[in-house]
Amino acid sequence: MGRKPTSDEDRVANRVEDFRTQADLSRQELADQVGVHYQTIGYIERGEYAPSLVLALRIASVLGASVEEIFWLEEEN
Amino acid sequence: MNELLVVFYILATLAVAYLWFYPRFIGNNLQLMAWVDVAVTSIPVAISAILYWESDPTFRFFVFDLNWFFFTILALTIIEIPIFLLYLKARGLSKAYWQLFKQQSSMSGAGFTTASAKEVEKNLNDTRWDGLRSIGAKSFLLWASNLAIWFGTAFLILVGDNLWATYALIHVLVIFAFWFLLRKSVRLVADAPDEALDEMMISSRDRAHVLAYRFFAAFAFTAGTALMVFAVVNDFQEDSDGFSYLLSITWPQVQAVFWLIFAYATMLPSMAMLFLDIKREKTRNAKS
Repeated sequence: MGRKPTSDEDRVANRVEDFRTQADLSRQELADQVGVHYQTIGYIERGEYAPSLVLALRIASVLGASVEEIFWLEEEN
Repeated sequence: MNELLVVFYILATLAVAYLWFYPRFIGNNLQLMAWVDVAVTSIPVAISAILYWESDPTFRFFVFDLNWFFFTILALTIIEIPIFLLYLKARGLSKAYWQLFKQQSSMSGAGFTTASAKEVEKNLNDTRWDGLRSIGAKSFLLWASNLAIWFGTAFLILVGDNLWATYALIHVLVIFAFWFLLRKSVRLVADAPDEALDEMMISSRDRAHVLAYRFFAAFAFTAGTALMVFAVVNDFQEDSDGFSYLLSITWPQVQAVFWLIFAYATMLPSMAMLFLDIKREKTRNAKS
């Protein structure tokens, strides 16, 4: 069985920016709390980087929501 | 006599560097000192090249006979090391220097890293070099660095045994300049240890290294194939014994090959990272 490519077909969409704004946090503050660089938060918010499960759980914890509320798989096709 | 003259201008260069330039302009900045030392080292080598390239006299080094290049480098190393250690001791920098050396040569994650966690952290928050991080600057750096490497290589292969071969010194400086600029452009991420990066940066660095390895493998395979073709073509010559081959190579050509391999071995990860960055930004621009 072949591995399904992580291409443009499946994109991890998210509402990190919405939740972050609601929590009144800057990218830098969120980045500091979850232990990444602030640019990484930018990439995640733009959907250009799908975070690992650990990072997704950390972000969800800081933003006070469940992972499913913030991240979901967006099937474009 | 030639030996004494070389020692004299080495001492004069080091006197100016250690008694005036370093205390006044470098101070305790060991990183900057390492860079400036490359330029300082090139001064006696350049003088030797100008004086002795054509005549190519033999230099006596204790029981060995050397050419001007190796004599200058060896004499410079032997004279500079004690002066450098005295400078470190006088400024109380010995411990910091060895710590720096230890950090830079540390093995981390998947391989050898040439940037310390502290340096990477500084570069990740640095905005002074943002001019090198636009898509246009990245494209320019990628093209210009490759053109400079191949131009220098071709020039040294074709130049022959004359004064123009001193271009090797400029070629080396150009390679180091591009190495510096490429690393600044990617904020040292391509050469960083795991502990300095977050998961996205580790992922980007690893992708860049895979791509760099593929380029390097293609390059090595092409070079190996060229050697094989050379051998096979020689087999068809009338005077060939089908077993041994004669490949004559000049000193500038040796330098061309050495610096070509050195340049790509050190710069390809940063180049690959730039290539992926440009591709990603083009995709982003196309979508928006």
